[in-house]
Amino acid sequence: MSRRLPNVDETIPTWINESVDPERMKTMAALLDDSNPIHFDLITLRNLGMGDRQVNQGPSNLGYILNMLEEWAGSGSVRKVKVRFNSNVHAGDRLLARGTVTGVREEGGSQLIDCDVNLQIEGGDVALDGTATVVWKEH
Amino acid sequence: MSEFTSLRRQKDASPQEPRPEVHPFTEGHLRDLVGREFPGGQFTIVPHRQWLLNDVVLGRPGAFPEQGSLAHPLNVYLSTSAMGITWDELFEWCGATAEDGPMFGEHETEVVTPMLVGSAYTVTGRIVSAERKVGRRAGVFDIIAYTLDIADESGERAASTTNSIVFPRRSL
Repeated sequence: MSRRLPNVDETIPTWINESVDPERMKTMAALLDDSNPIHFDLITLRNLGMGDRQVNQGPSNLGYILNMLEEWAGSGSVRKVKVRFNSNVHAGDRLLARGTVTGVREEGGSQLIDCDVNLQIEGGDVALDGTATVVWKEH
Repeated sequence: MSEFTSLRRQKDASPQEPRPEVHPFTEGHLRDLVGREFPGGQFTIVPHRQWLLNDVVLGRPGAFPEQGSLAHPLNVYLSTSAMGITWDELFEWCGATAEDGPMFGEHETEVVTPMLVGSAYTVTGRIVSAERKVGRRAGVFDIIAYTLDIADESGERAASTTNSIVFPRRSL
């Protein structure tokens, strides 16, 4: 059975990270070869006056938006994402990756869905916002 | 030694000692930076790193990634691992160090063909823009953007990523 095309203004199901995990920041630091200690060293954070919660890596925050898109449109569906990094995300933050359909079009034989996307810190700022395009797979 | 290493703060200099001369990173330096090519390199999305990436970003649950399976699209950004220079070296190109507090600005991912676990990719790239701005609160800062193109094993472009970094210029 084929899936129906989304409609403009349709809301993408929200993807939630209940609590940003500081332990996972250590893994991302290793994967990125990122030596910035604000992602894993509380002593450095305090010495810099940056509080006592580790700062999540920007690519991880981007990853949550990509998760939202792929859970909705399917693995391998992402064709374009463009975002601005507005605010830091910290360990323990509850995050909501959200999106809204802004366009449905055909290009090269594929149905493309354009969206506005953002990553909201619950009770706080919009950490990332931007646009995305996915290819819609009907099956 | 790079002409820009003198921009590093001398943390151990006492107040009585004269501070070393700081060479500002000029707008001429910014213009010269545009078009500079990265050395580039190759990377393969190996299964265990794909598993770790999925775990880090709470991505697809399930079985251990198989060769030929679809990779998480965040791997487009992770192509920075094969740009051929370290983050410190990139900051040095831009007249800064990690201590100067560079920040993510904007990111763009473009996928032509979804990336696959077990596939090898070749990365090439360059600095594509560099501009100086002045903010009322932020003061002088530079926004420097680079693009990485990712080619698959047949040499066809599979994806690209463009990222901008904001460099505060507190010494200006």
